[in-house]
Amino acid sequence: MDRSTPKKRKAITRDVDNEDPALVSGDEYDFGQLDGTLKDGSDDEESDDESVSGASYASGSATSQEVLNGALEGAEDEDAGVTKKSVQVDITPHPDKAALAGKEQRDDEEEEEEEDKPNYRVVKDANGNDRYIYDEIDPGDDSDYSVAGDDANTIGDIPLSFYDSFPHIGYNINGKKIMRPATGQALDALLDSIDIPQGYTGLVDPNTGKPLELSKDELELLRKIQTKEATEEGYNPYEPTVEWFTSQVETMPLSAAPEPKRRFVPSKHEQKKVMKIVKAIREGRIMPYRPPKEGEQEEDDLPNYDLWVDEQPRADHAMHMPAPKLPPPGFDESYHPPPEYLPDDNEKKEWEEADEDDRDKEYLPTDHSALRKVPGYGHFVKEKFERCLDLYLAPRVRRTKLNIDPDSLLPKLPNPEDLRPFPSHQATIFRGHNGRVRSVSVDPSGNYLVTGGDDGTARIWSIVDARQVWSIKFGAEDPVNVVRFHPSKETLILAIAAGDNLYLCAPQIPEGLSSEIGTNSQNILDIGWGHATNGSSSKTSISWTRPSPSQQAKGVVVRVPLGHTAKSLSFHPAGNHLVAVCSATTVPASHAVSIHTISKHQTQLPFRKRIKGGGTPQVAHFHPTRPVLFVANQRVIRAYDLAQQSLLRIIQPGARWISSFSLHPTSTTISGSDNLIVGSYDRRLLYIDVDLSPRPYKTLRYHTKAIRTVGFHPNVNRYPLFADASDDGTIQIFHGLVTGDMMSNATIVPLKVLKGHAVTNGGLGIMDLAWHPTEPWLVSAGADGTARLWTS
Amino acid sequence: MANNDNAPSGNIRLRFTTREGDLNLDDAAPVLIPSQFRRYQLSQYINSQLNLGKPVPFEFLVNGSYLRTNLADYLTQNGISAETTLTVEYVRARIPPQYTASYEHDDWVSDVHVSPTNGGAPARILTASYDGRIRVWNTSSQELATSPAPSDGGHLSSVKAAKFVTSSQVASASFDRTVKLWNYSETASESSPVITLGLNLYGHRAGIEAVTAHAPSHRLLTASADHSVGMWSTRKSDAPPAPEDLIPKVITKEGKRRKLNPSASAAQRGPLSLMQAHTASVTDARFDLNNATVGYSCSLDHTVRTWHLPSASLVDTRQTSSPLFCLEQMPALQLLAAGSANRDVKMVDPRASAASVVAMTLKGHKNHVVTLARDPSNDYVLASGSHDGTCRIWDVRSTKSSKDGITTQSVFTIARESLHGKPTPVTGEGVKVFGLCWDARIGILSGGEDKNVQVNTSENNG
Repeated sequence: MDRSTPKKRKAITRDVDNEDPALVSGDEYDFGQLDGTLKDGSDDEESDDESVSGASYASGSATSQEVLNGALEGAEDEDAGVTKKSVQVDITPHPDKAALAGKEQRDDEEEEEEEDKPNYRVVKDANGNDRYIYDEIDPGDDSDYSVAGDDANTIGDIPLSFYDSFPHIGYNINGKKIMRPATGQALDALLDSIDIPQGYTGLVDPNTGKPLELSKDELELLRKIQTKEATEEGYNPYEPTVEWFTSQVETMPLSAAPEPKRRFVPSKHEQKKVMKIVKAIREGRIMPYRPPKEGEQEEDDLPNYDLWVDEQPRADHAMHMPAPKLPPPGFDESYHPPPEYLPDDNEKKEWEEADEDDRDKEYLPTDHSALRKVPGYGHFVKEKFERCLDLYLAPRVRRTKLNIDPDSLLPKLPNPEDLRPFPSHQATIFRGHNGRVRSVSVDPSGNYLVTGGDDGTARIWSIVDARQVWSIKFGAEDPVNVVRFHPSKETLILAIAAGDNLYLCAPQIPEGLSSEIGTNSQNILDIGWGHATNGSSSKTSISWTRPSPSQQAKGVVVRVPLGHTAKSLSFHPAGNHLVAVCSATTVPASHAVSIHTISKHQTQLPFRKRIKGGGTPQVAHFHPTRPVLFVANQRVIRAYDLAQQSLLRIIQPGARWISSFSLHPTSTTISGSDNLIVGSYDRRLLYIDVDLSPRPYKTLRYHTKAIRTVGFHPNVNRYPLFADASDDGTIQIFHGLVTGDMMSNATIVPLKVLKGHAVTNGGLGIMDLAWHPTEPWLVSAGADGTARLWTS
Repeated sequence: MANNDNAPSGNIRLRFTTREGDLNLDDAAPVLIPSQFRRYQLSQYINSQLNLGKPVPFEFLVNGSYLRTNLADYLTQNGISAETTLTVEYVRARIPPQYTASYEHDDWVSDVHVSPTNGGAPARILTASYDGRIRVWNTSSQELATSPAPSDGGHLSSVKAAKFVTSSQVASASFDRTVKLWNYSETASESSPVITLGLNLYGHRAGIEAVTAHAPSHRLLTASADHSVGMWSTRKSDAPPAPEDLIPKVITKEGKRRKLNPSASAAQRGPLSLMQAHTASVTDARFDLNNATVGYSCSLDHTVRTWHLPSASLVDTRQTSSPLFCLEQMPALQLLAAGSANRDVKMVDPRASAASVVAMTLKGHKNHVVTLARDPSNDYVLASGSHDGTCRIWDVRSTKSSKDGITTQSVFTIARESLHGKPTPVTGEGVKVFGLCWDARIGILSGGEDKNVQVNTSENNG
């Protein structure tokens, strides 16, 4: 590409060089040039009879001259020279066009000649025998075979740029250097260096003896004279015509002449004619018309041509269909219908007031005492036109129509009422957060609920009576982004991502009272301290520290300084590992995904660099049973085997920006989860059956705004439910039954739209969802500062 | 009138029955009643037949629904032939419960109970509150006594249930995993009644949701979120010692754990038995009213379980379809009423021979039904309190059969007075009812999220 561009540019500059400089320079129109043009024309005229040679630009105009001469041949007279000259002047400014026309003409002639002439000559050789000398075969323009002319460049098919450093651009057929022609730039520079005064003509004014200089107006006047335009200033030759007198001849012109008298006196001429007929009748020469009597058949000589007399009834054919017939007219269509068919006043009024499309009859039965009193039928043309349309548009071929009940084509979805229980009623509102509630999680026993919000607090609520039983404040500048309960039933451990830190917390409920479960949790979190100080395996820069004393009093055991804001937390179902994702674009790739081991107080950063395409990581979840980590970036979900340290699978849901995904908790195979749902900011909920295809099995587009979060019910065997929450303030509940049978696909039934959360000014609706571990209950966190419990 | 086509004679054959023993008619034979009769005329007729000294207003149930029109219109509406003999059940007419008083609290009221009848002693109202206190009130909205603060032996967290064991002994169960027995003494001068801590009962590992007392056998039953039902003795002498590891320790500011305030210590005792069978939080436990060796418990695991208390063994499990929050026995019907998360009250038949688990469903609440109370004067009437902010009164005789089984609509709905006539929010936000008690002397008492105990009149005490 780089090489071809200068080559092209060079070709253009050469073209420009060949053109008339006067045409290029445009408004500079000097007299000498003008003269030259005129002289060229006379030259051409002189060389009128010269034979055509070469294919130069001059010969092109000469040829056109010939053609024109041919055309004018018949009209040639004494002043033919003048005519020729004027024509010549006319065509000169458009030599290309003329040349083109001429060439076409010549091509046609040649073609005609080729057809009847032999392509050889017969000459006598030295011995007196016939010798056939064949014409040179013209290979045509598109042939590869070509003989270079004397001046042709013989360097072959190499770029001219190879000669850039030389003064020549190649060699002709004789091996002589072809010098580089002067470029346009060089000529322009030369012309620029010569200072020509405005209006310079090169002539001498005979009156003054000074150089003749013409002003711009004078030049314009000369141009107009030359092109035979009107010289007057501001003259428009194309003014619209004003028809002062009409050019059209009226057939019946209006006339103001008085009515002639003959219009008012009986016509004598007609009387004469009538009297002639009367006389003829009286004399019996003319018989007046008498209606023929019954049975008296007039025998005419006129032949009758019955087109259909020999027509045979056609055999019934499947593909033949007679034209649709009009129904026979009824009594009410008569001009004099029986009185019972006549409408009364009410019916008439009703018919008249009804819309034309609503009328059951096109006409209103009307009684006329005689046929001649029947007026013209207003709808006649319309009716016939519609009949024609009927005939034209009526299908005349019998089509085999599929006789399928459309309802049978719809998939058989179970009735949502049969799929109860699912969350359908709003039961409880958890109010207390000041600002958005960012995240929500239900503890594994199902008794408590934790919410985290923009006000920097995390709060634990009793789920049934909506009583806040525990809370911690991290400060307003550290909004709590994610809160998650540890999945083990024996503990009550809380992971909180607040600000740039990750806190692990063993809250005592009720607050201030030591409990067995709280102590257990604290012990689990405390086990790793020794491990961390050994420092043997800590390779990363993130070291776990103790939080501030006030936080310790609240039960916070560990602070993990991530250094960036974690937007997603997810526990491994066994509970020892926790994956955090910092999804901001400013986070270095190595710190975006971090895996935390609770028993060792250790943070691992499994990814050193970001995989290209798909943007930053958004969410990550562990596989429910296997050591597999699913990481979703904006477009792709990748499954990594943590034991083998390898990439297992790439799932491409086709979403533009994945917001969240959830793995089916039970249906699993070796290489990862079988079923997962993906929510995306482009309003789609995608159900992917990985065994079926890496592409979505179902795409559910029911939300009007971005989907924030999706989730399977943790106990899918008992409650095959999943839900998504959106910025439009609604939650949608779906039934998603996955069978163990490989032959049947998952059954997905939309069950319920839960409305209740208000959409805030920022366009945010529901931020997070959490399923109750044992009941078909759902908890949602809303941007309106509330969390809500939805029960069946 | 419409009936003229149906019943030209103008008379309908009716057979009157009742389930109220003192109001039985001598003659159960069908009688001819004019079809124009409404409730009032029928009530007059029954009164004339019964020859009661004071006239009793009656309501009439035909095929499980109350008669609200005249008989002829009822027949045409239900498409019943005028020639059939209708069986009409008559029940005492109920007066809609009227609001009488409120008892204001500092925090949500979780439970309310009225002292048992004890000779001529005036009725006392016991309330439990989320601020960790139990309070005793007289019937004229005066607070008589309050339990002490946590530092003086009071509950450390919200009290979830409180009941009178006897008129001088009170049991309270709290979210802080303890049951406390209090002595309530009222001296002759009513100005200084006091609540003093009698006994600390430790044994549950999670918050306690409910407590019930059976005074004659000195037993308590508790329901706890640690999935167990506890049985305790109210006497210090026959209760086992408290398990050492379950005596709660307070975490001080320095993060040290120390034993609870030794200064205000009372005797510490453990449970007689902890019955483990439920798989989720136990929400309510009851003694059988006829046989104190039988206990019932309901749980969020959808079950109602029957226990043999002396042996602490599980007798029977009844599985329902939704989490259950509260229990009440209807001894005359041999049924247990259980309030569920499914917004209804399920009448569970605890007998092993019962064909179906849920004999009847009382439908109408819009949120969890969390508390139930029996009408002390009527075996067929029940009140329920719900998180939707209403209490409803049900008559189990008025039933309808539908595809969901036998259902009942509520007779009356009591809204919270604290709303001042505004409509109740759908989720009952701010006005949830947590505790309910129906006492023959005072009426229907309900406490809830609006920090009030609301008293409504019941049957004959208006």
